[in-house]
Amino acid sequence: MTSVGARPSRQSTVRMAGLAALVVIGATFPLWNGSYSVRIATGVALWAGLALSWNVICGYAGYISFGHVAFFGIGGYTTGILMQPQHGWPFLATLPVAALVAAGFAAVAGWPALRLKGAYFAIATWAIAEAVRELATVSGFTGGSGGLTLPVSSSSTFFYYAMLVTTALSYVLCYVLLERSRFGFRVRAVRDNEAAARAQGIDATRVKMEAFMLSAAIPAVLGGINAYWITFINPDSVLNTIITDQMVVMVLVGGLGHVWGPALGATVLYLVNEQFLTSFGSSTSYIAMIGIIVMLVVLFLPDGVVSLLGRGRRTGLVRQLLGRAADDVRPGRPSDEAAGSAGRSRSR
Amino acid sequence: MTGLLQAVVTGLLIGGLYVAISVGFSLAFGVLDVVDLAVGMWVVLGAYTGVVAQEWTGIDPFAFLPVTFVVFAAIGWLLGPLIYRVRTSRYALPALMGLAFTFGLATLMRGAMLSVFGYTPRTVQTHIVHGSWSVLGVVMPAIRVIGFLFALVAIGLFLFFLYFTRTGLAVRATAQSKESAGLMGVDVKRISTLVYAIYTGLTGMAGMLIGAVYSMSPELGLRYTLFAFFVVVLAGLGSVLGVLLAGLFLGVLQSLTTTYVGADYTLMVVFVVLFVALLLFPHGITRRRTA
Repeated sequence: MTSVGARPSRQSTVRMAGLAALVVIGATFPLWNGSYSVRIATGVALWAGLALSWNVICGYAGYISFGHVAFFGIGGYTTGILMQPQHGWPFLATLPVAALVAAGFAAVAGWPALRLKGAYFAIATWAIAEAVRELATVSGFTGGSGGLTLPVSSSSTFFYYAMLVTTALSYVLCYVLLERSRFGFRVRAVRDNEAAARAQGIDATRVKMEAFMLSAAIPAVLGGINAYWITFINPDSVLNTIITDQMVVMVLVGGLGHVWGPALGATVLYLVNEQFLTSFGSSTSYIAMIGIIVMLVVLFLPDGVVSLLGRGRRTGLVRQLLGRAADDVRPGRPSDEAAGSAGRSRSR
Repeated sequence: MTGLLQAVVTGLLIGGLYVAISVGFSLAFGVLDVVDLAVGMWVVLGAYTGVVAQEWTGIDPFAFLPVTFVVFAAIGWLLGPLIYRVRTSRYALPALMGLAFTFGLATLMRGAMLSVFGYTPRTVQTHIVHGSWSVLGVVMPAIRVIGFLFALVAIGLFLFFLYFTRTGLAVRATAQSKESAGLMGVDVKRISTLVYAIYTGLTGMAGMLIGAVYSMSPELGLRYTLFAFFVVVLAGLGSVLGVLLAGLFLGVLQSLTTTYVGADYTLMVVFVVLFVALLLFPHGITRRRTA
């Protein structure tokens, strides 16, 4: 299956120009915007990265993780603990450690959990995340429910660039790994038919584990930056289930299994959330709205906002998956024949 | 020794309520092939219905139980077709989409309840029963005993429906094989809707009973989702006897942990046991999976 084949060169040029414009806007954003806008942009970058990480495990590997907040929290706590006066690590040195700790945790938790499928994996990760939260609440080294205070840094521009660079690098890394390398093909092969993938000589267990670890390392680094940014973390702020909720909804709204879907979904929803907060001053109605959006997207727009951009620009897995499902006579069972058009599945 | 007995009895009493949550959930899982992640939210919503009904009308929540069942079943009757539609759709990953849909439902209910009731925990107040009975040195709060008995009656009626009526037969056939049942003239969509309605009704009612025993807040929904899932995983799909045993086991496990380790660790122990159970019995689990 070739998800990204040879493209007409005109489209490619437009694409490159768009990307270049994004890079220029991103790099110069703090120069022509006030601190409020920079703060919002930092949040957008953070959530774009988090949504991306969830898309890796769900969209590409086909495993729903409802415990992704655990990695975000683990990263935040790693940075927070190492930056305490008694350890006194410099901020940037803590980030690789955060990534390693989260990836290691993902390996330990994923080794048994990745043998489970579908809802069972989802609930297992959910339980893991809750256990991590409970642990952080009762343990001494995390400061318990009182939380941890980090040294204060006043430069909001620094956090903007830290977030932006991390997220951008994550996108490049995931794009190269999942869309341009054999690893990506292996991951998708395992997702589509694990038995067939094994028969082709793919070490499915290892591939799933690697995808899970990749998907865990990204939120950990972002969590570390976030902890230093907000300077105070406790289980309620960085291990809150709402963080997983947001990742899920952003990916679903953007487009599952699509490279740019999460970025789009994250940008739209984060701005909506901010608008909600400023107009209503409450975040609970936002939770309800997230729920409604998820239900509506599942019912009416299962391949996300990306699918609205027109068929010419729709690339990647979603189209293929949908094309495959559309040809399926019996509902609920993907057939082995990968053929058919993408639009058909949405005609109902 | 009395302490141990006390803990076990307390656990069994609350375990009956967990069984009440889980029997419908297990059946809905079997028939619709969707894990309803909103199950805990139905529990919480049931409890809040009791609170609101009490505050507005002054009627005792226990007298309200049948009404709760009807109201929740009606809501389930409206939602069931949507879930059925998602699950049998031609989307890329219908199982995943079904999961996402109920997740959205759970999130909507959580957000709505937080908006209306806030974070403060509430308890269903009842005046019919109070005090406690003491048997052989074991104290049994009347409210828990009554809740347990109510749960038993509800489960009994449910099982009667499932095993001694024609519709119940159709439900069981659908749970075994949708295609075969459909070929035998069973309206699978209607049965799925019916099962979802019964499940929401039963869970809402059980939620009201749990709300009379424990204080309830919208943030606790997840906990009951995990409990219901725990029971179903441990029981193995399609096994009613398994659900009974696993539900009671969960209650006892929770009670023993609270007594001997500390209330702070209850959830952690339950999660660890759930996790280990998922790993030890993946066979009974994976046999029925379609994801």
